[in-house]
Amino acid sequence: MLQTQQGYHWQLKDEHASIHFNAMASPCELLVDTLEPELVELLAKLAYAETKRIEHKFSRYVADNIVAKINSSCGQVVEIDQEVFQLLTFAEQCYQLSEHLFDITSGVLRKAWHFDCSDNLPSQQQVESCMQYVGWDKVKFEHNSIRLQPDMQLDFGGIGKEYAVSRVAQLCLAHAPNNSVLVNFGGDIQVSQAKKNGQAWHVGIEDPITGKAEQVLQLTSGALATSGDTNKYLLKDGVRYSHILNPQTGWPVVNAPRSVTVLASHCIQAGCLATIGLLYGADCEDFLQAQQVKFWCSR
Amino acid sequence: MQLIKFSNINGALAAATCTLLAGVSNAQADEKSNDWQFDTAIMYYGEPDRVQAVEGVVSATKDFGDEHVFSTKLVLDTLTGASANGAVAQTSAQTFTRPSGNGEYTVEAGDTPLDDTFRDTRVQLNLAWNQPWGANQKVGAGLHISNEYDYLSVALNANYALDFNRKNTTFSVAASYAADEYSPEGGIPLALSKMAIRGDFANDDAFNSGFDDTRIGESENKDTLDVIFGLSQVINRRWLVQFNYGYSQVDGYLSDPFKVVSLVDDTGSALGHYYESRPDSRSKHSIFAQSKYHFDSLVWDMSYRLASDDWGIDSHTLESRLYIPLSDSAWITPHVRYYQQSAADFYRPFVQGDLAEYMSADYRIGQMTAYTLGLKYTQKLSDGDELSMRLEYYQQTPENSGFNSPGQLADVDLYPSVSAVIFQLGYKF
Repeated sequence: MLQTQQGYHWQLKDEHASIHFNAMASPCELLVDTLEPELVELLAKLAYAETKRIEHKFSRYVADNIVAKINSSCGQVVEIDQEVFQLLTFAEQCYQLSEHLFDITSGVLRKAWHFDCSDNLPSQQQVESCMQYVGWDKVKFEHNSIRLQPDMQLDFGGIGKEYAVSRVAQLCLAHAPNNSVLVNFGGDIQVSQAKKNGQAWHVGIEDPITGKAEQVLQLTSGALATSGDTNKYLLKDGVRYSHILNPQTGWPVVNAPRSVTVLASHCIQAGCLATIGLLYGADCEDFLQAQQVKFWCSR
Repeated sequence: MQLIKFSNINGALAAATCTLLAGVSNAQADEKSNDWQFDTAIMYYGEPDRVQAVEGVVSATKDFGDEHVFSTKLVLDTLTGASANGAVAQTSAQTFTRPSGNGEYTVEAGDTPLDDTFRDTRVQLNLAWNQPWGANQKVGAGLHISNEYDYLSVALNANYALDFNRKNTTFSVAASYAADEYSPEGGIPLALSKMAIRGDFANDDAFNSGFDDTRIGESENKDTLDVIFGLSQVINRRWLVQFNYGYSQVDGYLSDPFKVVSLVDDTGSALGHYYESRPDSRSKHSIFAQSKYHFDSLVWDMSYRLASDDWGIDSHTLESRLYIPLSDSAWITPHVRYYQQSAADFYRPFVQGDLAEYMSADYRIGQMTAYTLGLKYTQKLSDGDELSMRLEYYQQTPENSGFNSPGQLADVDLYPSVSAVIFQLGYKF
């Protein structure tokens, strides 16, 4: 049975229902531990609306959203709402906890770096000219407002999808308190709550190089997030430059794993750990070990 | 010791995540009401020159309606400092091997030997579910996990209560079973073996082999079964009384791997220090009685507990609290507690001649009296939250239960007192 509505469709399978739509440049899927069409339709509608809302609000490709407003503010104060304030506060905490490696102002460096698998490295001068616009410590924000220095930019791309996964999982828990829902946006995953019968959802983790589901995980609760440089790199003189940029130097992190998957309670938390792990480069595994989380690195 | 390059930020990140997700759903006025109740506290405990502890407690309770209550409590504490190792003080300096076998510590003449390597972080988690069962009964079950660097305890418990006599009388029974594993650094010492001291050996290898001879393994276990029967009775609208009988049975490794007993000669000079030895089982009976009386504004809570075990320790505890309202939103609670215990049959502050099959110089199982004086101030805030502060003084006085002190032992303090200050700050929301 396949149901199609505007933007999303769902179907009932043998033991669960699945919902599909595309958003945030990813295939988005929800598996729901129910066979009740009304509940599936409700969750599909809510999940789709919430995901699109977050995508529209925080994407840097949308012309008239709050991110665009902030990024084109030329040093002026911009009013923000509670949700933006909460995300900025979260980004601030990640910045502090990661020894300033996790920095949502580092997107400006993309002006110097084009990860097109070529050997076109920017010059140190080009990098340095970007670096003056990088640094979370230069951002001033309060409950209702933010002020960026001219030419600085915020990019929620590193946390937006994981945030959406966590929010959708939360919505599912609120509206389906007796059902387990697995939310999977292109490999960033969260389970709303464990299934009543205690059985696990089976999730394949893709090998970033072959694209094949390399490992099938049994997930009863919690979240998974993956960060990596699959297909985005530069190669020069035998050195591979990953697209993960160190905001302290403006240069790519060296010796980082190609992909990191972390298991935590919330997707956004797992995503931040994975990203921070990558930023630590060769020390990624040591860092994640210290976090006492389950993780998989592929090098 | 492994070099720790990265600290654990995951806890802070989890907290930030919860704030983010909770904050947003509140902001968007989700229909889910916030009916979790939180109780948080931070406590400092300090014995001058000895142990210091800082403890953080977060407990959360959620009522799912009709008295179906889930509660959880997380306790994190860190302990640092020094603890008496059981050896007698001497009129000259003494050297002891650390429990790990790595290194030594020296105790000055006249000082009570304290092992200064005492350092631990403990995490405890309690989960409990309670609910009514029919009109007059209640059932509950819980899980307790406690983990330290060298200690792991897992316990399951269940309870049942029956109201009768128009809910004026409640009979209850509760049982708990705990399995503990102890894996101290340096391993488990062989009971009654002599502490190896580096100075008595020709070289490091000889010492290491001598130290290894005093070890019997990496870890030991014990099991604890507790059962409590209770009866509470409403006497009148002002007066409530409660009686409990408790039985506790512990089996397994009950010695303290860090404690020794000194063997002394006629002049009181220590010839060596021997790892203590305790029986591998202990059963305890206890009786508890409590009265709560509600005056016009004051509430007086008074309790007495008598406990007796087959190690020969009998104890009496008298405790009293008075709740004194200062205004509609603030009250103070003075607290007095008096405790007295007799020594275990095998308690020996030191031994002369032959070692005993069971012996321990741990002051905690010797004869002692202790008292606590405290004051707690509680303030209800305008939004219904509650702030509290508690300050307590604790004094423990070990006593000689009839041992003569030969030679130089007459000149040193074999029963030093311990005092402590406790400060706690609590916030309930």
